[in-house]
Amino acid sequence: MRTEIDGKTDQAIDSKKPLISIKNVSLSYGNFQALTDVSVDFYQGELVGLVGDNGAGKTTLIRIISGIIPPTYGEVYFDGERITKFHPKKAIDLGLECIQQTIGICDNLSVGRNYFLGREPIKRIFGLPFLDKKKIRETSAKVVHDFGLRDTVDVDDEIALLSGGEKQTFKIARAVTFRNRVIIMDEPTNHLSVRERAHVNELAVQLKRQGLLVIYITHDIFQIHRIADRIVILENGRKVTDVPRDAMNLENLEEIIRDGGRAPAKGVKSA
Amino acid sequence: MRQFIGSIVRRHPEGITISLVVLISLGFAVITQGSWLSVGNLQSISQLTAVLAVMAFGEAIVIATGEIDISVGSVSGIGALTFLGLAPIAGSGIALLAALACGILIGAMNGVFVALVGIPSLLVTLGSLFLFQGIGYAVTSGFSFAATNTVRQQFVYNAVGGGGFAEVNTGVIWALVILVVLQLVVFEAPVGNRILAVGGDAGSSFSRGVNVGRIKFGVFVVSGVLAAFAGVLDAAFIGYADGSFGATMELSAIAAAVLGGCHLAGGRISLIGTLFGAFILRGIQSFLIILGVQPQWYILVVGLIVVLASLADRTLTRLALKK
Repeated sequence: MRTEIDGKTDQAIDSKKPLISIKNVSLSYGNFQALTDVSVDFYQGELVGLVGDNGAGKTTLIRIISGIIPPTYGEVYFDGERITKFHPKKAIDLGLECIQQTIGICDNLSVGRNYFLGREPIKRIFGLPFLDKKKIRETSAKVVHDFGLRDTVDVDDEIALLSGGEKQTFKIARAVTFRNRVIIMDEPTNHLSVRERAHVNELAVQLKRQGLLVIYITHDIFQIHRIADRIVILENGRKVTDVPRDAMNLENLEEIIRDGGRAPAKGVKSA
Repeated sequence: MRQFIGSIVRRHPEGITISLVVLISLGFAVITQGSWLSVGNLQSISQLTAVLAVMAFGEAIVIATGEIDISVGSVSGIGALTFLGLAPIAGSGIALLAALACGILIGAMNGVFVALVGIPSLLVTLGSLFLFQGIGYAVTSGFSFAATNTVRQQFVYNAVGGGGFAEVNTGVIWALVILVVLQLVVFEAPVGNRILAVGGDAGSSFSRGVNVGRIKFGVFVVSGVLAAFAGVLDAAFIGYADGSFGATMELSAIAAAVLGGCHLAGGRISLIGTLFGAFILRGIQSFLIILGVQPQWYILVVGLIVVLASLADRTLTRLALKK
């Protein structure tokens, strides 16, 4: 499935079993075909850049991976096992965390309650499950502090009081502080300042070094070319390129995205 | 200063309702020269408040998820009729269980249509409102069900609103017990966190692994069973029920919740506030009766209160969330 460029393949990665394997996945919303026959493998310990124009199908693909929508056709394997039930809970239980652009935070809940939403810590009183509020407060306060949010942020306050960038930082913090195997970042640096942006990118590389699979979705090809191990390009719901970063320079990358893979850049053979 | 008010409103939405209770209590007491505040009148108000509050608690939980249940009045009617219809035949214990079962079933039906089929709750429960009111009229065919003397002697009958305990109607005790339980469930338990999350942002909750459908189904069942129980509490107190029992009660229940600081858009509720909201409505009703105003005016007052409360709610929420 992987594209060979000038005869080069990434032996180290190819010899491993993929952690997530997407096989011939298609998805349509009514008459609109969002994804067509996409197959792609993701390996542990790599940082994959998922790029493409608006409406290329990037978000749809990660929504399938994170269990929000089931594919119309095709199969998804996690750690060799076929996924039959698509639900975010299942994905989270498998250790897959997705930082999405527009969703993931309930504005009416406190910072602490948002942090633990869906996996609330409990303490039993007379055998009944109650929220462990002390743990919620202490853990989330530590995370918020470690990720450099304002000192005035009170974790008991509604998260609506945070700014857009702070909310984004919070989502990233939440994703990386739970023990996960896969972190998907959908345009993680939107709304962020230059400094915060560098921090997020650094974090993505760090997570990869810790052995996690990081799938990084972005429009910013300069950024992704700098940090990714492999770049997958989607165009109109199809995968047009899947190559190691080293096999491609920025110019190739720009050209492919611009031309939608119809005219592959010189020296690059499309999948 | 604004920040201080903001944080109070954010964390204690019932504060304003409670201040209002104190204000109108004083006002009504003065205007009626003390008779509004007499022991007898307060007993009557507290019994009426208890019934309305039990129903409004269920409503508040539904509102917490961003939905609405306008069938609670009809469901309370079904609960009351089932209870009084069966009690003389099967005893009040069995009758109570049957009434609660009816509430659960109707709630589950509403829940299935909202959570699984995806029909807006306003439409689903509007249908239930008419359907069960119709059934109420049909089974009574213009007559009423009354508790027999034997039934009135039974322990269960007295324990669910028919009798009192140290001058306090048992319905009041039930309302307080239910308040404590629900308060723990909504604000201290994981499921409560998810109920509020669903009302705040259903899509985000789903992406965090919350089973949105199950939560919505659950709140309608709770609302159904509480509405039926409210019907039982009132029927046992009055001793009879006809086909119109519980009619328009849903309006008062919604008004009590809104007045108590529940946000109709979902995600933000106060159960303690709802209790006081119910008290204000019943207090006003009693005030109008003492003044000799025709009871029909009560509905007009409820309407005005809901409009004003929504307006105040919007202003205060905006103030509270100002950065």
